[in-house]
Amino acid sequence: MKKPEIAVIGGGPAGLSAAIAASELGARVTLIDRNSRLGGQLVKQTHMFFGSEKQYASIRGIDIAAILEETMNNYDVEVMLDATVLGYYQEDGVITIEQNDKYIKLKPQRTIVATGASEKVLAFPNNDLPGIYGAGAVQTLMNQYGVIPGNDVLMVGAGNIGLIVSYQLRQAGVNVKAIIDAAPRIGGYLVHASKVRRLGIPIYTSTTVKEAVGDQTLEKVVLWKLDESWNPIEGTEWEVDVDVMCISVGLSPLAELLWQAGCEMKYIPELGGHVPLRDELTLETTVKGLYVAGDVAGVEEASSAMVEGRLAGLSAAKSLGYDKDGIYEALKKDCLKQLNDLRSGPVGEKIRQGLKKLAG
Amino acid sequence: MKEEKTIVCRCEDLTLKDIRELIKKGFRTMDEIKRISRCGMGPCQGRTCRQILMQEVARAQGKSIDEIQITTFRPPTKNVKLGVLAGGAEEYEEDC
Amino acid sequence: MLEKTGVATQKDLEKVMPSKERLKKGPVAVIECFQRIPCNPCYTSCKVGAIKELVEDINDIPELDEDKCIGCGLCVSKCPGLAIFIVDETYSKDEAKIMLPYEFLPLPEEGQIVDALNREGKVVGKARVLQVKNGKYEDKTPVISIAVPKRLSMEVRNIRLGD
Repeated sequence: MKKPEIAVIGGGPAGLSAAIAASELGARVTLIDRNSRLGGQLVKQTHMFFGSEKQYASIRGIDIAAILEETMNNYDVEVMLDATVLGYYQEDGVITIEQNDKYIKLKPQRTIVATGASEKVLAFPNNDLPGIYGAGAVQTLMNQYGVIPGNDVLMVGAGNIGLIVSYQLRQAGVNVKAIIDAAPRIGGYLVHASKVRRLGIPIYTSTTVKEAVGDQTLEKVVLWKLDESWNPIEGTEWEVDVDVMCISVGLSPLAELLWQAGCEMKYIPELGGHVPLRDELTLETTVKGLYVAGDVAGVEEASSAMVEGRLAGLSAAKSLGYDKDGIYEALKKDCLKQLNDLRSGPVGEKIRQGLKKLAG
Repeated sequence: MKEEKTIVCRCEDLTLKDIRELIKKGFRTMDEIKRISRCGMGPCQGRTCRQILMQEVARAQGKSIDEIQITTFRPPTKNVKLGVLAGGAEEYEEDC
Repeated sequence: MLEKTGVATQKDLEKVMPSKERLKKGPVAVIECFQRIPCNPCYTSCKVGAIKELVEDINDIPELDEDKCIGCGLCVSKCPGLAIFIVDETYSKDEAKIMLPYEFLPLPEEGQIVDALNREGKVVGKARVLQVKNGKYEDKTPVISIAVPKRLSMEVRNIRLGD
């Protein structure tokens, strides 16, 4: 059986950063990703990132993926592409992988889980009509495969993903008829909201989907307003004729490997769902030698995912005795400061609350 | 709401009506509902329906989501051809 | 209000509007960033130190030193929120010049007359395209300079090309 020092599961912003950081300290890393190219969700992010230079601010996600991959190639990281981790066996710490119809077992000394998150769905009548997509799925379709989803779109959710995908739909020449959100306020960055408003796309808050209507495929959506207690108000219904509806109502951590590993988990809505308890300074879970980083540890911006990845990579390497020239402490401190900076403002409030609940 | 038109589990074709009827019949935990209906046991392994099912079960039990027990996660995380598993694990020695 | 509509109100705008005296002196940045978010490329891209360093807290709202700002526009394509515009009310007797980020194809051509849109995407007049900057520095966020009637200098924030 192959026994890498550190296995990183997931080659998105967190996983790539983890692989780089662990390699910097001198550890031998195997990076496993189920896709045929690295970068995770970064490869479809055509907008510029926020944050500071350390998190590649002003650079587009797709270009950040290339920078991270290039940086990683300076080290001897073994990369397994088209490889899905099927299980984590807590009895002996073995992980099983399927790659090109082959079944592979690894027994890493340390494992970093950076599997990201999946899109949440909504329950409403006819929610299975063709034309109803996750917003992230539409982004993949457009930006990775060059396919537009339809002609007229209703975006459900005014968080950053909903706002950004609406903008990108317009860039692809698709008409976005409206963005709605059940919350009384726009959840995403207001600069993103202003960007789509300048294109003439209206945003309706306190509004939700009553039902989807269509014979074979989506033809229209019935919307209604919500009162202050989030209850629908009868008589406020109106219809929007669209052939596409994008659902962007949040992400939930892809944590099945953590459950399998026996990590202690807690349901924290602020962090997107069930997330693992961990040591905040090292990102080690309650399972010794198992670390987490990025959305699987709590849904947040990609900037934080990259810093968490670094922190987990450094911690895992350090625990194996790697600490080139004693730089670990300084590097760790820098990561913790960056995370604190990214989370300290009002938009980080939810994350701070969630982390507090998790620790408490 | 038209519960019979609202899909909860796409893989196993279960509607909100199906789930609520099961709850009425006395299947109150996620595990019970999973075992009787296969909710969450299809190709997506519950990644689509779990959140909605959690809400329904929590409501039925009069609890918040963090208080309810969720189902056990077991390998494999995705569909694998039996031939892949039957082929056995590729075992090779550490090369350095 | 802004957090419900995504459109800055007059009250929001007053906070970031350069003074009348400064506008009389030539081009200056209008930073329409009203929310504390972790972000600082406006500061790092400014070559004349006109944006207060976000050193204490990266979440701080950028603060412009309007006397130092020369209205060069280097920040326009670097703001991830596309929230910075350069306004020059001295451009001509009747017209103001606005530099804005524009990430759509086809790009307008110099001299082209296009629709001028406000913050809600409504057509409020016509604009004449003066310049299209789309080099390596802009890195796929082209910066378009347009001339609009002077009274629209604080209204127009987008353009739309005719069919």
